[in-house]
Amino acid sequence: MKLLVCIKQVPDLESRFKPNSEGVWYNETDLAFRMNEYDEYAVEQAVQLREKMGDGCELTVLSIGPDRVVEAIKKSLAMGCDNAVHVQDSAASSKDPWQIASIISAYAKDKGFDVIFTGMQSQDRGSAQVGVTVAEQLGIACTTTVVGFVYDNGTITARRELEGGIKAAVKLNTPALVTCQLGLNIPRYPTLPNIMKAKKKEIVAIPVADLLNEAPLAATTSFHPPAKKGGGIVLEGDVGELVDKVIAILKDKTAVLR
Amino acid sequence: MEVAREIYWNIGHGVVIPMCILAFTAMGVICWGFWKRLPIWRQGKPLNRIDRYDERVKRMLSDVFSQSKIFRVTDGGIFHSVFFWSFLVLFAGTMLVMFQADFFTPVLQVNLLSGEFYKGFSLVLDIAGILAIVMLIGLFIRRFIIKPDGLEIVRDDYLVLQLLFAILITGFLIEGARMAATEMQQNPALALFSPGGLLAGQLFTTMTADTLLLSHKVLWWLHFALVLGFFCAIPYTKLRHILTTSANAFFAPFEPKGAIATINMEDDTVEQFGAAAITDLTWKDIFDADACTSCKRCQDRCPAATTGKPLSPMKIIKQIGELAEGNPAGNLIETVTQDALWSCTTCRACQDVCPANIEHVNKILEMRRNLTLMEGAFPGDEVKTAVNNIEVNGNPFGLTFAARGDWAEGLDLKIMGQDSDVDILYFVGCYASFDRRNQSVARNFIIICNAAGIKVGILGKEEKCCGEPVRKLGNEYLYQMTAAENIELIKAYDVKKIVTACPHCFNTLARDYKDLGLEVPVEHYTTYINTLLQSDRLRLTPEAFSYTYHDSCYLGRYMDIIEQPRAVLNQAGGSIREMDKNGYDSFCCSAGGGRIIAEEKLGSKISEVRIKMATDTGAPLLVSNCPFCLTMFEDGIKTGGAEGQLQVRDLAEIVAERIAA
Amino acid sequence: MKTLLIGEYRDGKLLESTYELLGFADQLGAETALLLVGSESQLPEYSGTLYLADAATCGEYNPNLHKKLVLDAVQQENPDYIVFLHSSYGWDLAPRVAASLKAAQISEVIAASDGSFEVGCCNAKMRRSVKPATGKTVITIQAGAFPVLQPGGSPTIKKLTATGSGSLEFVGYEPAEKKDVDLAKAEIIVSAGRGIGKKDNVPVIRALATALGGELGASRPVVDAGWVEHSHQVGTTGQTVSPKLYVACGISGAIQHLAGMKKSDFILAINKDKDAPIGEVADVLVVADVMQFVPALTAKLAK
Repeated sequence: MKLLVCIKQVPDLESRFKPNSEGVWYNETDLAFRMNEYDEYAVEQAVQLREKMGDGCELTVLSIGPDRVVEAIKKSLAMGCDNAVHVQDSAASSKDPWQIASIISAYAKDKGFDVIFTGMQSQDRGSAQVGVTVAEQLGIACTTTVVGFVYDNGTITARRELEGGIKAAVKLNTPALVTCQLGLNIPRYPTLPNIMKAKKKEIVAIPVADLLNEAPLAATTSFHPPAKKGGGIVLEGDVGELVDKVIAILKDKTAVLR
Repeated sequence: MEVAREIYWNIGHGVVIPMCILAFTAMGVICWGFWKRLPIWRQGKPLNRIDRYDERVKRMLSDVFSQSKIFRVTDGGIFHSVFFWSFLVLFAGTMLVMFQADFFTPVLQVNLLSGEFYKGFSLVLDIAGILAIVMLIGLFIRRFIIKPDGLEIVRDDYLVLQLLFAILITGFLIEGARMAATEMQQNPALALFSPGGLLAGQLFTTMTADTLLLSHKVLWWLHFALVLGFFCAIPYTKLRHILTTSANAFFAPFEPKGAIATINMEDDTVEQFGAAAITDLTWKDIFDADACTSCKRCQDRCPAATTGKPLSPMKIIKQIGELAEGNPAGNLIETVTQDALWSCTTCRACQDVCPANIEHVNKILEMRRNLTLMEGAFPGDEVKTAVNNIEVNGNPFGLTFAARGDWAEGLDLKIMGQDSDVDILYFVGCYASFDRRNQSVARNFIIICNAAGIKVGILGKEEKCCGEPVRKLGNEYLYQMTAAENIELIKAYDVKKIVTACPHCFNTLARDYKDLGLEVPVEHYTTYINTLLQSDRLRLTPEAFSYTYHDSCYLGRYMDIIEQPRAVLNQAGGSIREMDKNGYDSFCCSAGGGRIIAEEKLGSKISEVRIKMATDTGAPLLVSNCPFCLTMFEDGIKTGGAEGQLQVRDLAEIVAERIAA
Repeated sequence: MKTLLIGEYRDGKLLESTYELLGFADQLGAETALLLVGSESQLPEYSGTLYLADAATCGEYNPNLHKKLVLDAVQQENPDYIVFLHSSYGWDLAPRVAASLKAAQISEVIAASDGSFEVGCCNAKMRRSVKPATGKTVITIQAGAFPVLQPGGSPTIKKLTATGSGSLEFVGYEPAEKKDVDLAKAEIIVSAGRGIGKKDNVPVIRALATALGGELGASRPVVDAGWVEHSHQVGTTGQTVSPKLYVACGISGAIQHLAGMKKSDFILAINKDKDAPIGEVADVLVVADVMQFVPALTAKLAK
């Protein structure tokens, strides 16, 4: 059995974001990077399946990006992935989801992966497209936003999370791709012996040019902060008036009060 | 009339040979008993605790004979110490008698035990014997009638107390019987120098001479048998502490307090980290169990144990002993339980008060290391989040590292990355960097330095968590990663001196970072400010205030800095009202040992207990010297209902307000 | 400009959110056609063309089949934009359609102007403007970002059919678990801090939460004091939350609390201390007595 998990390294969302010189994505100075949260669930689920299947099962982790993404790859290896692929691309952030998906598909198409795991979306870009697009490009079954995953003899029983806490149960036959959501599992904290072992595992580097033959379908023209919301208004005075003011503001500035 | 006594009266010198044989047999039994325990201790890993031999011997002799560690706690301690000294005198006296009979008299033909010396000798021994009996009665009442909380009663307690009591009583009876037949009739004046014997002798005055002689013989042999029994019991009962606890004073570490073995992360042959089984501990860790006398002083002072958490330092030591003896393959962590291990605040109160030099804290840390490094375990999800935050952003809050230096905006200081020409590097720490309450402490420290004309630099956004909380939670890997980055940075700036306002950063940088190659002198701001005051670089306009002072564990117990902060505060105009638990006896705030990033889910709140102690002094102000304590106390004042009654402030805030214009 | 709007239907019901698609098309000033895999008994109030497939035969979640239906409608309608809601249905289906058409997809759009679309990124801290480079563009719109538009009337129905299910089988729905509270997923949280004074005042805060349709949260001291159960605790030692609206009642803003809630989209704080640290993260800080302001706000909202 062959498994693939695709991960992205993203900035910690506590960071302060500033546009880069082209003004189309963030400047990486002063950003702390970590593994995309949803991808951690994907890695954990992949590792759990890998452990369940035992010998003869092989789990590969793939990440696209500049050299820094090796840190996220190493964490996946420490969590229990067997092999690693680093698609080297210092300009990965300028690729659109279609291109990113195409790179992954180009790598995966002749490898015969039975199950591919991805996060449901990246925390920075948040497009929620790459996983499904990869499945479409490879022509395999796919379901999204998975919060439950059971594999049994070529069939995946997954629970999708819908709105309002409702879940939907679906069955897929492998090969298949699932995109993983918060609540699927609790990602493990790598143990020290596994961290040490991960350091010795080889990370196969592939230049992005070897895998990418697609042009972008959309272009980011600007990256900017949202128009200043409230910005810390301080309201004082008569309680009755305050209530009216607050309701007006909530109606104006939030989507929850109409 | 000759003032002396006939040795071996009624027994005869012929007894010497059998007596020696029996005595040597008893010694043999002791040796055999400990020889049999040797394999138990040797299950542990090797550790060199016999270096610096002379110092060790000296320390052991002074520890044992002064009884200073036992005396430190009066409850039980006084009884033990007086009993020990009395019994020692009796033992020495008996030895002297033996030497007189079998060496001085036959070989040197002198009799030391005569004349005025004999009178004194007799009196001292009798008083010692009476004192020993009184102390035994005291110990008996304490253990079996008062029954202090947490003090166990086991088989050994009955046995040992009875045995000692019987030895002392039979000793007096022999003396009484002998005196009834001799001194009391022949030299009543001399008999007065043996008050105990004189009293016991009254029992024999009505006896016929034959019965008296026979009784004396029987009692003598009984006494002798009891003494032999005492020796033989040493390896097999609590009495073993006479040797093991003394030995532990020899084996005690010379490393600075709080020193933790730094794991070599480069050695990739190691596959096992921390302690999950007896065999992962050192031999000393197992030996500690034999040195433990179950005095429960550790447990009485443990902030976790006294607030209803499932941790007793004493119990852990015993559990280690039981596993080592009965089930060496057993699961150490399951036996001790994770809850007990995570409850420890590493406040060191247990280890500090232990009269047997037992090292509790590092055992707990080794087990935590196993949990963290081998199992990826955490005391709670909130800790996992905080640890992840430290990994990514270098602080437990998960706030962006780029904002770490924001608090310093507008202050007169330098950012090392821009200008590293400074007198001191102020290592700010996570709380003072990000927590609003503690930022006030940082700002006030800068104001103090400015007033003293000290050029201060900070690392700003380059600084990371010192790694202390994660290290104490067992995550040596993350500790070494963050430490290495800090060290590299500090070295690059050619820093002359580091000052921190956090005792945890202070301990870590000053002691732990040395193992990783940082040699820059590190000082806590309390001593630094004290020195500035002493040297007149800083001048204060005192303004009277009444306060009580909390010795943070990592400043007081770990670093012996107890007087300096009080001196600073007194110079600022303060008059102190001490809490009962102060100085080395201080009671933790609850945040040590990585507990600062963990929720206190079990038992009652430690900080509230401490706040109660502070309010009990009547002082309106509690002064702290540690960001963790300050945070816990701000919390404890609110939740403990002491608002309006007690205010908590940091030493730097008090000092800065009183800088002389 | 033409849009094909893909409506939503779940568990036998037309979802109201479908009308947000019409609101979006209206802002774009585009012609509309609607597609729904639903039922004739539940028709939207809409007077344009409705491509309707029967959920009873096509399934409510059968993405391969639904993709075919959408592609069929695309062929008939030739729209410039194929618009989905950014929902569990939309984000699942949209990329499949986009991939089949090799069309650009722009996800979770919050505003549109001049052929350029505004999307949030970096957890709503930043925005991107995205321009498609393809003839057709697939779009998913953020729930709640566009007004509901319910034009009325009845649609002209064009029936769609397709067969085949692919390798995915929908098994069924599981109703939401009735657990105590899941703050991490709540859209509105009203939290109580120590400023509320006493345990007896907790219902006042709870009433505001109910009036807003949100969940009750709490700061650590309140939980520690036993006023509110731990499952409600917000902060690094409780739950980290990012609702659309966070109302902090009498919470001064200890660092542990701030770290747990500052990602919220909109923060309203009520505190009597103007300088409380909560003010640093609040969009609006109401300086008032919590126990006066909150009941007044609740009363007004109830009207």
